[in-house]
Amino acid sequence: MGVTTFAAIYVGSYEVSLKVFEISGNKNIRTVDFIRTRVELGKDVFHGQPIGYELVDEICDVLLEFRRIMDGYRVDDYEAYSGPVLRNTSNCLFILDQIERRTGIRIKTVGNSEHRFLSYKCVASKPEFGRMISESAAVVNVGGGELQITLFVHGEVLTTQHLVLGTMRLAQLFADGNLRSDNIKQQMKELIDKEMEVFKAQYYQNRTIKYLILTGDYSLEVMRRMDKNLDDTTVDAGKFSSYLKRLEKKERAQIAEALNLSNDSDMLLLPSLILYRRIVETLAADAIWVPGIDISDGIVYDYALRHRYVKPVHDFDKDVISAAHSLSQRYMSYSPHIDALVEMSSLIYDAMKKVHGMGKRERLLLQTAAILHDCGKYVSFANAPQCAYDIILSSEIMGLSHRDRVIVASIVKYNTYPLDPYDEVSDVLDQEGYLIVAKCASILRVANAMDRSHKQKFKNVRAVLKGKQLILSIETADGMLLEKTMFDAKAGMFEDVFSIKPVVKEKKIYL
Amino acid sequence: MEKEKTIDYANAKYYENRELSWLKFDHRVLSEARDKSIPLLERTKFVSITSSNLDEFFMVRVASLKDMVHAKYKKPDIAGLTATQQLEKINQATRELVEIQYSTYNRSLLPMLKAQGISVYDRMELLSEVQLQSAERYFDEVVYPVLTPMAVDASRPFPLIRNKTLNIAALIQKEEENVFATVQVPSVLPRLVPLPTEGENEYAFVLLEQLIMHNIGRLFSNYQVLCTSPYRIMRNADLPIDEDEASDLLKEIEKQLKKRQWGEVIRLEVDDDVDKELLSILKKELDTANEDVFKINGPLDLTFLMKLYGLEGKDELRYAPYQPQPVPELIGESNIFEAIKKGDILLHHPYQTFQPVVDFIRQAANDPDVLAIKQTLYRVSGNSPIIASLAQAAENGKQVTVLVELKARFDEENNIVWAKKLEKAGCHVIYGLVGLKTHSKIALVVRKEEDGIRRYVHLGTGNYNDSTAKLYTDCGIFTCSEAIGEDATAVFNMLSGYSEPLSWNHLVVAPIWLRNKFLKLIRRETRHALDGNEARIEAKMNSLCDQEIIAALYEASAAGVQIDLIVRGICCLKVGIPDVSENIRVRSIVGNFLEHSRIFYFYNNGNEEVYMGSADWMPRNLDRRVEIIFPVLDPKLQKKVRHILQVELEDNTKAHLLTAEGSYIKQDKRGKVLVNSQLQFCEEAVGAVPKAENQYKDRVFIPAEPINSEEQEEDE
Repeated sequence: MGVTTFAAIYVGSYEVSLKVFEISGNKNIRTVDFIRTRVELGKDVFHGQPIGYELVDEICDVLLEFRRIMDGYRVDDYEAYSGPVLRNTSNCLFILDQIERRTGIRIKTVGNSEHRFLSYKCVASKPEFGRMISESAAVVNVGGGELQITLFVHGEVLTTQHLVLGTMRLAQLFADGNLRSDNIKQQMKELIDKEMEVFKAQYYQNRTIKYLILTGDYSLEVMRRMDKNLDDTTVDAGKFSSYLKRLEKKERAQIAEALNLSNDSDMLLLPSLILYRRIVETLAADAIWVPGIDISDGIVYDYALRHRYVKPVHDFDKDVISAAHSLSQRYMSYSPHIDALVEMSSLIYDAMKKVHGMGKRERLLLQTAAILHDCGKYVSFANAPQCAYDIILSSEIMGLSHRDRVIVASIVKYNTYPLDPYDEVSDVLDQEGYLIVAKCASILRVANAMDRSHKQKFKNVRAVLKGKQLILSIETADGMLLEKTMFDAKAGMFEDVFSIKPVVKEKKIYL
Repeated sequence: MEKEKTIDYANAKYYENRELSWLKFDHRVLSEARDKSIPLLERTKFVSITSSNLDEFFMVRVASLKDMVHAKYKKPDIAGLTATQQLEKINQATRELVEIQYSTYNRSLLPMLKAQGISVYDRMELLSEVQLQSAERYFDEVVYPVLTPMAVDASRPFPLIRNKTLNIAALIQKEEENVFATVQVPSVLPRLVPLPTEGENEYAFVLLEQLIMHNIGRLFSNYQVLCTSPYRIMRNADLPIDEDEASDLLKEIEKQLKKRQWGEVIRLEVDDDVDKELLSILKKELDTANEDVFKINGPLDLTFLMKLYGLEGKDELRYAPYQPQPVPELIGESNIFEAIKKGDILLHHPYQTFQPVVDFIRQAANDPDVLAIKQTLYRVSGNSPIIASLAQAAENGKQVTVLVELKARFDEENNIVWAKKLEKAGCHVIYGLVGLKTHSKIALVVRKEEDGIRRYVHLGTGNYNDSTAKLYTDCGIFTCSEAIGEDATAVFNMLSGYSEPLSWNHLVVAPIWLRNKFLKLIRRETRHALDGNEARIEAKMNSLCDQEIIAALYEASAAGVQIDLIVRGICCLKVGIPDVSENIRVRSIVGNFLEHSRIFYFYNNGNEEVYMGSADWMPRNLDRRVEIIFPVLDPKLQKKVRHILQVELEDNTKAHLLTAEGSYIKQDKRGKVLVNSQLQFCEEAVGAVPKAENQYKDRVFIPAEPINSEEQEEDE
């Protein structure tokens, strides 16, 4: 197999970058060129303004130049992404359209979740990752506008939280020239601490975390100045933070010199370092690993994964399930019923494969919905479905995109509420998403009806498609009266969606 | 520790003024013209070089000092002198230099040239009848039509006299009224007018201005010519103040000098028997002070002597031309990229040929696997094969990025011409960076090979100029090391206006990190010395005048670091100051080739480090230019580079040693094996080539034109 040249373009809150990669036959991904240029979109956006035409011109000029460079490398393929900064802009669509008209480059905007997930995927592809999360690890990804923390314990995702703390945002917040630099440092610290402490209080309790996996600009440069631990990849967290502390006392130019940086006037340097130290100290890990990965590495890895140049080494679906579990536990909704429901709905899903025509991904969404379907009761019993919907939409589940979360939340909602016509939800769901919601919700309804009493009264369930009927044969010792009564009421939607009638066949067993 | 407290290494008394040090350098060049062991025409060439050097020195350095005086800028220089004080000293030193220059010319070179059958007449009376007739005919046919005599009177103001041109001033009379007139000696005509000779292989010339003065009556036919005299002026070069002294002060000066006096006359050269009245008119009209008038005992502007150098049939008066040798690693390699893949290659010019560098670009231009060529160009030869190849590459559809430095002094025009040519061919031409001169010499070829993209890099100490590569000693390295390739890519990204890489692998790039890097390296040696370990610095460069670096060297010397410096030109460091620079030795090699490479060696407690690059230890190199210093990593190459330093440190023929008194002397050679480093490198280069390859024929380079840039203070 030959060498594929791939380029990743990324439009971030403070820079636009082009990274050219080679994906070679022996599954290696090598960086060939990395071109970055400052375009400070965040300046307009973080102050709540739309992006002005000067900036649009600037981006287009840069992208045209990138095109030329890509042609120079004869790249086989490229992908262009932009971070939340564009998505959060009021004139996002117009800008994207203008960029495409002028440069021919179509930029995909991704929300925070997908954005972080891209880099995370690449980090997760490293062998060290598996080892670290199998003990306990906090994966922290620092960006210009926000940062994301994911906690792993014994390989399971405990939570993913996304904090509105980013290097560019901090720099912008304190861009007022009248502040003394000592003051700025102190205020930044306080601001960061406020957010970080809440996170810690909620998710740490008495936990200790062994590894901190950190990605973000300049983190690798700091890492390079440090002696490695015995494992040759991590550095001691105490040493890391005391080194950062020493650096913070210096002037920007001195810091740049100490880190051998070429740009000694980057206003993001100090916020980055302060943020890193606060993160390191708050999360109190033993050791720190800086894989030196950025979003572009994520983009190429994702591309290579999709085109089967590389094989996945980490099970991201498992992350989703474990994150959903943690979430469910957090809202005290976890019970044996959940497990039964997941099993039951998966069973129906698989039996219905030919009818619903959905794939692996949707199955994962259904399972996630099953796990989370009851979490709304934590807030309100009466309004549980709506509350669950809101909880899911506001929770970060690593591995799910924003759209994925809308789908999951909607499945949960329509598990109870009658399905709204498409017109009424078209603002949050596209047609394809709406269909997924309808199909999965009707499956979930049927599955849920089978265990209405939450007592798992049945055993050995089998689901078989027979003509226009879905035969669910169950063995049960207890009376299934409640379930049977509910079943007919809940099966209506299933019939509407699939034109297939679910039928329960009960086989009484006596103990 | 106590010592450090008591000695202030930055004290001005420990420093030499850079202009005076430069004048000493010109003296050293002149001393080559007085060296009897050197062939006559070579000696003549050196006189010519000192003359053109001095011209540039005035235009740039003296001019900028004058600016400072006008701006009432009072801050003293590195040696504690104000601009006014410096000008006084320069004036005195220049007069001494000029005197030796002309006595060398008049008393030794001229008679010896005559004895060798080359006569240069500076008076028409010396010509034979036949010669006179021939000269007169030449005047009628060639000279007269291009002359533009100009008289000055009430209705005709004093004309603009152009910088560096030779002119003839005349006092002419009509009806008892004296009128001043001037005529430019046409610069389009050769200064030396050839005359017929009797003997074979004999030459005779008369100076063009003499021929014109002889016929001056014909230019002002209605007047009576009272007296004539050649004169020449030097103006403040039409460039901004030299930024060297002026990083902070530049703005200050600009503010104060709202009305810059462009082209102010800073030197007026006249014949020493010029008529008093004529001189006073010139002084008044050109607004020249007494101290700026130089009375010259001989022909003005000796650069014409370079013309004599190329005379045919006088080979015995010149060194046998040296043929740059092929590089052993590249012999028999038709594909230069394959050769580089086998290992890093060191090039040592002019001992070894520059051809591989030309081939590197030429092969890249036609290689279907090559994606891109990126190169910095500073000074390029007029008919550069490199430019042609780059244009060819662009036409072949490669991505060609060329950084053209338009600010290369006195080369601006030339650069614009071929930069446009490149642009036309489809190259992406970058015209330098705002506020920075790009002085680094780097070429990158990106090649898409079977196993992926591979980058080939050439890094050098000299310009990509195939002509000067035959005269300047420079080093270069070919490598395809991935780390350096990455850095090289980053350099060009940076030069194209993209963000700098977060960090560099190996290259040290000014203006950002170079000074600190050097200071660090020097201080590391100091630490080693303080720890009681052996510590050594050997460095070769063109100029040393950065105060911070010198102070660091003093500190190192005081700590016991042994420091050997090979500084061709300006050296503001003083040797032999008790407790300050006793461990520092400075030597300057002035030879047939212009010493140009920059090599830096640090013993580093046994883990030796060698760097090469484009930067001198001058403020302008460290702060206001894009320079690249690269480490020599391959141990084999490191050894070779170290060898270069060692041989030059052993040189006792062409090396001048700096004394504690600030003068440069040649070593006492009695009882010593003579070492002439340049000669030795020539021999070594010949010896390194396998016998069968010694037949290698290269074009012999004989400068047919005066090479103005040679031996310049500003050579790059």
